[in-house]
Amino acid sequence: MDTVVSVEGLRKSYGDRERIHGITFDVQAGEILGFLGTNGAGKTTTIEILEGYRPRNGGQVSVLGVDPAHATRAWRNRIGLVLQECELDPVYSVRETVAMFARYFRRPTDVEATIEAVGLTEKANDRVGQLSGGQKRRLDVGLGLVGDPEILFLDEPTTGLDPLARREMWIMIEGLRDAGKTIFLTTHYMDEAQHLADRIIILRAGEIAAQGTADELSASLGYHTEVTFDPYSGIDLARLSAVLGRPVTVRESLARFESDRVQGDMKLLLDWAEVEHVELANLQAIQPSLDDVFVKLASEATPEVREVDS
Amino acid sequence: MSDVSLSLAQTRYALKGFLRDPSALGFTAFFPILLLLLFNAIFKGNTNFNGVHVRAPSYYTASIISYEIMLVSFSSLLIRITTNRERGLLKRFRGTPMPSWVYLLSEIARTIVVVATTVAVLVAVGAIFYHVQLSAHLLLGLVAYLVVGVICFCALALALTRLCATADSASAIGPLAATILAFLSGVFIPVAVMPPWMLDLGKVFPLEHLARGLQEGFLVPGSSGITLVDLGVMAAWAVLGLVVAVRTFRWEPLASGNS
Repeated sequence: MDTVVSVEGLRKSYGDRERIHGITFDVQAGEILGFLGTNGAGKTTTIEILEGYRPRNGGQVSVLGVDPAHATRAWRNRIGLVLQECELDPVYSVRETVAMFARYFRRPTDVEATIEAVGLTEKANDRVGQLSGGQKRRLDVGLGLVGDPEILFLDEPTTGLDPLARREMWIMIEGLRDAGKTIFLTTHYMDEAQHLADRIIILRAGEIAAQGTADELSASLGYHTEVTFDPYSGIDLARLSAVLGRPVTVRESLARFESDRVQGDMKLLLDWAEVEHVELANLQAIQPSLDDVFVKLASEATPEVREVDS
Repeated sequence: MSDVSLSLAQTRYALKGFLRDPSALGFTAFFPILLLLLFNAIFKGNTNFNGVHVRAPSYYTASIISYEIMLVSFSSLLIRITTNRERGLLKRFRGTPMPSWVYLLSEIARTIVVVATTVAVLVAVGAIFYHVQLSAHLLLGLVAYLVVGVICFCALALALTRLCATADSASAIGPLAATILAFLSGVFIPVAVMPPWMLDLGKVFPLEHLARGLQEGFLVPGSSGITLVDLGVMAAWAVLGLVVAVRTFRWEPLASGNS
């Protein structure tokens, strides 16, 4: 596979404060890389360095074999971008907007095909000002695609969208994935990265906290099913913990323990209940989502992160 | 697509957007015509220009044309550029292969088209309704002042975009600057009744020279109104504006935070 983006030891400071502390990663052709982090983790700074908007303070960066710090017009013809915030001019129609952006590129794709790819064919004659938030965002993605780029940068494409619009954006990005597009996607939604990305990098306070596929992340981050039930009167937590070989606690009015072999632990628990002559109420085995994992990881962030937010 | 045809396409696109923006259209196209009608309704007959009695309609046609050139080239362009910067559109354009100069040139070309059209309408209104006399000399002067005036005020608008952090501040500063300069430059009030110190102050700024040059052309028979001083002061302001613009112009929203 070809390496489309290669980053080694990237550093970026604003004033005296270093925000990106020497991160290293790459993006391969045809993959969607999910760049995940809370606000202030450094996602937008990183993506804007890759897009050629911002200079860096250290490290090597190559996008399509070119250092973005020396962006040329030929290079801009090969990349597509969607900024985190851009309010397109409301007075033009969808078709006029896409057609105008197509003229900026040397080898644009077909305007109608682009409009269709972002699901706006029925809205092609509508003015941008009449579109919903989700439709505007998808039009913006269309403007990133119309130059037929070798890599597409999407900076938080679903932030601020309602759940339905978010779902529509996902379906559209899945279409791009199926078409083999290389995409660098930033998001602060774990489920979005999990759903769309082939590989995920979790950025925390300017450092890579974890990376891998969704499955690899789940495994490496110690990701156990949690079994919960209503604690009955007279429950002997110490005895039960000894039987299960795991600590059982009561928290938020539920008895709970973590398990990495649910079937066996369930049997032990049910046998115990039979011996004790109790009917276990509200018994559940809950698989924590990667979202929970991400929240846990992010909340371990250093205080610096919160300052950056303001 | 060559850069020339891209510039033309971008200019057409900008013009189309301008025509669809009712507030921009009203402010820069209809407002000056209304002003011309109002002034001609208020000041009938003659006024004094350089000690000579001249017809008020010719005086006001020249004055409102100079004001219109500043409104479109300075106030309107300043608002438009800061609005697009605030929307993140300038940054978006900057991320495409379109050269930056194509975007800026097309905005200036759009300005020239709007100015030329509205000035033609103002001249036609003056000639048809108020018997303003036209001549070849006058048209020559008009074209010269229009070109230099547009370049001067466009440069100053680009220079001031850095001072206007938001579109809101541009919407206040742009029209306010034009109105104050119009009073200092004998655009609204005839030169004959203006206190001399105010006229002297006005002479520092380009609108005074644009207005005076055009007034000469409209009022002095056989004159184009072109003087090296008037064109020179405007050119000097244009150079100053360009130097400041080149050094301070920003493509990204000024109030942007980053993560």
